[in-house]
Amino acid sequence: MKYQVVIAGIGGQGAVFLVKVLSIAAGLKDQKCLGTENHGMSQRGGSVSCYVKVGDFYSPAIDEGQADLLIALEGNEGLRNIQYLKKDGGTIIVNADEKFPNIEYKTVKIDAFEKATNGEIPIQALNVYMLGVTLAKDPNFPFNLGDIEEAIKVMNAKMADKNIAVLHKAIEDSRSV
Amino acid sequence: MKQILMGNEAIALGLVHANVDMVSGYPGTPSSEILGNFEKFSKKFDCETYAQWATNEKVGFEVAYAGAIAGKRTCTTLKQVGLNVASDALMSASYIGHLGAMLLVSADDPGFHSSQTEQDSRSFAKFAKIPVFDPATPQEAYDMVKIALDLSQKFETPVMLRPVMRVSHAREICEVDDEVNFQPNKGEFKRDMGRWAAVPPKGRFAQGLEQLRRVDTIAQYNWENFIEPRVKELKGGQTLCLTSGTGDGYVKEATEELGLEADILKLDMPYPLPKEKLEKLFDDYKTVIVFEETYPCIEEQLSSPKLHGKLTNDVHKIDEFSKDKVIQAFNNVGLTDKQSPYQNKKFEDELPVRPPNLCPGCPHRDVYYSIMKVFKKKKSIYSSDIGCYTLALNQGAIDTVLCMGASVAMASGFSIADKSKTVIASIGDSTFTHSGVAPLINAVYQKHRFILVIMDNSVTAMTGRQKTPERANPGVINLKHIVEGCGAVCMEHIYTPDIDESVAFMKEVKKKFEDMDGPLVVIMREFCVLDKERAPAMLPGIYAEVDPDKCVACDICTTQYKCPPMHYNEDHKIEIDPFLCIGCDACIDDLCPTDAFIERKLK
Ligand SMILES: Cc1ncc(C[n+]2csc(CCOP(=O)(O)OP(=O)(O)O)c2C)c(N)n1
Ligand code: SF4
Ligand code: SF4
Repeated sequence: MKYQVVIAGIGGQGAVFLVKVLSIAAGLKDQKCLGTENHGMSQRGGSVSCYVKVGDFYSPAIDEGQADLLIALEGNEGLRNIQYLKKDGGTIIVNADEKFPNIEYKTVKIDAFEKATNGEIPIQALNVYMLGVTLAKDPNFPFNLGDIEEAIKVMNAKMADKNIAVLHKAIEDSRSV
Repeated sequence: MKQILMGNEAIALGLVHANVDMVSGYPGTPSSEILGNFEKFSKKFDCETYAQWATNEKVGFEVAYAGAIAGKRTCTTLKQVGLNVASDALMSASYIGHLGAMLLVSADDPGFHSSQTEQDSRSFAKFAKIPVFDPATPQEAYDMVKIALDLSQKFETPVMLRPVMRVSHAREICEVDDEVNFQPNKGEFKRDMGRWAAVPPKGRFAQGLEQLRRVDTIAQYNWENFIEPRVKELKGGQTLCLTSGTGDGYVKEATEELGLEADILKLDMPYPLPKEKLEKLFDDYKTVIVFEETYPCIEEQLSSPKLHGKLTNDVHKIDEFSKDKVIQAFNNVGLTDKQSPYQNKKFEDELPVRPPNLCPGCPHRDVYYSIMKVFKKKKSIYSSDIGCYTLALNQGAIDTVLCMGASVAMASGFSIADKSKTVIASIGDSTFTHSGVAPLINAVYQKHRFILVIMDNSVTAMTGRQKTPERANPGVINLKHIVEGCGAVCMEHIYTPDIDESVAFMKEVKKKFEDMDGPLVVIMREFCVLDKERAPAMLPGIYAEVDPDKCVACDICTTQYKCPPMHYNEDHKIEIDPFLCIGCDACIDDLCPTDAFIERKLK
């Protein structure tokens, strides 16, 4: 099994957190995994892109046209990284509203900012929310809910309950997407 | 035991497992997490070790080096440009050597992700004549730490480990030792003036001959221990790829995925190489290509008409590696004629750029805004330095960026060369203690007329908020005393998120400067909004929004101030992104000429 994920967002949205969760989830299943986080120059507000490669890989970076999945924590950052997706079969799961353009890849779009504005989810958990949408909407995603819950507990036991509740909420919300 | 580790964590754990008792470094992306993790692991496993941030890389290197002379196993960590600062000490240490062991971790940044140069530390190791290991993954980094330290002890020379960003910041499941058997090494300085204080020409010449012999011996050791065991797996044929570090992964993946026929020989220690033995291997191949990041370090050590790489213009010479670049190289050499599958269409329409910027609410922003208000651009030169504050480039508040500490001496130079302008230099607190003090003394004694603003947020923010000497020793080290000790006049100001107040202070500075005939130093006591200990007390929690009826789209906020939440909406009115605003209150009242910024009413 080989699965390549690009995670794109804005500095401060917690893309790096997702790399950690997926690396731990792979570790718990004893599956080979290489993740990389690009810290860049600014601590907040700059473009961030991270890679996770599950399976037999040797280099941590992902080339254009190779990713199975792009998790975009913000719409424009998703579009900025769109070239990393596989030409056939690549999926983007994106936090965006109805203005997000039609593109040639399978697109799952959900407006998490709106949910945060309405107080349905805490904005700090946007990253976990989008991971929940991924669990619900990407049939090829190499992890299931149990794997991710376990990884979240390993990562930070104190915050685990809150984060897992957000995961469940995302899965619930995804039914109507 | 299996453990998920980031490259820099793997290096830190390797240091503990390799019985290292001293780590002394200076932060710099992507090396910064090694020292902190070493400290964490030392505590966890109850090992009595020394782990401290030095004031700069040269200091960090020398502390660790002296430890190694006295028989300890030591390590210094820095980023590639930090190696430039430490290089004076390194060049001599390579002649003299030591009795214990010393690992120099120099982390490179191919692709300029957060560095001002793309220099290759392996080539620096070659220049200094010390062995260097180039890990491709966190696992290799862990393993090589141990091998390198043993090599260092055996041959009595500093040894370099050169992880690139894609190793330091990669995460992988690593196989590590089950147990920690830490035994402190005895530190005992053994007097040997002929060695530790060798004087030129005779003493150093003799050490130079010794150094040449050592390099030859290590090249042979490299062959026997790291290369020869892999030669058995080579099949011979059309193509041999010589790889180093991350280059190896890209070549392995690309050749596998595209079904390219080639033997791959990874060189764990790219310097020193056993030249003749390696070149002998070329007999079995038609073509040899070298894949390495980013300088032709291996390539320069070998010669053969069969050899292809950067020097023959077949492999890229700048920027990070990728599989696309592997296939391009195969095409350039004429081995294949393949359309690269590693290229894809970018999104066609223009996307709003998100250049690196200061955080929402960062005090640096207000300081630069007030400098520009009071010292107008046309009549000023803004020399600056390296740190978060460099991101005030966005505000147009910076004219020069060279290397750490340069703002001060460059201000001297500008003040001599262009007397028609006021020179305002800006420097961070960490950068000032790193390399700003010597040029300040220079400016005082030569009476150079400029203003130096020290932006003191009490952390080395850009590299992850390591504590500065002043913060770590409150009441003991005081920047103001340092400045005054240099003989400079010093003004101090405690920052508040009130733009008018910052501007008013800057006006006082201007006034004071009028009767100065030397440098005037200004210390701005700020904070970093990501500093969990100090920021909460400094941020009032007053969030902004914009009254669209008052906004006249004058652009002042988006050009001179540029707080990330501020952007134009579809009606061409400024809007504040509520998820980015951190409620610092600064922009409300003083920034907008039409008072469009108002307090956001929380629903
Ligand atoms: C010689 C050298 N060493 C290290 C670095 C990495 N580095 C970039 S900025 C910086 C220091 C920033 O600290 P400070 O001057 O306090 O400014 P702040 O980021 O806190 O605003 C460092 C160490 C570098 N660029 N050059
Ligand atoms: S990390 Fe701190 S110093 Fe750097 S931009 Fe953000 S608030 Fe400013
Ligand atoms: S209050 Fe204004 S200056 Fe402060 S973070 Fe919000 S938008 Fe930026």
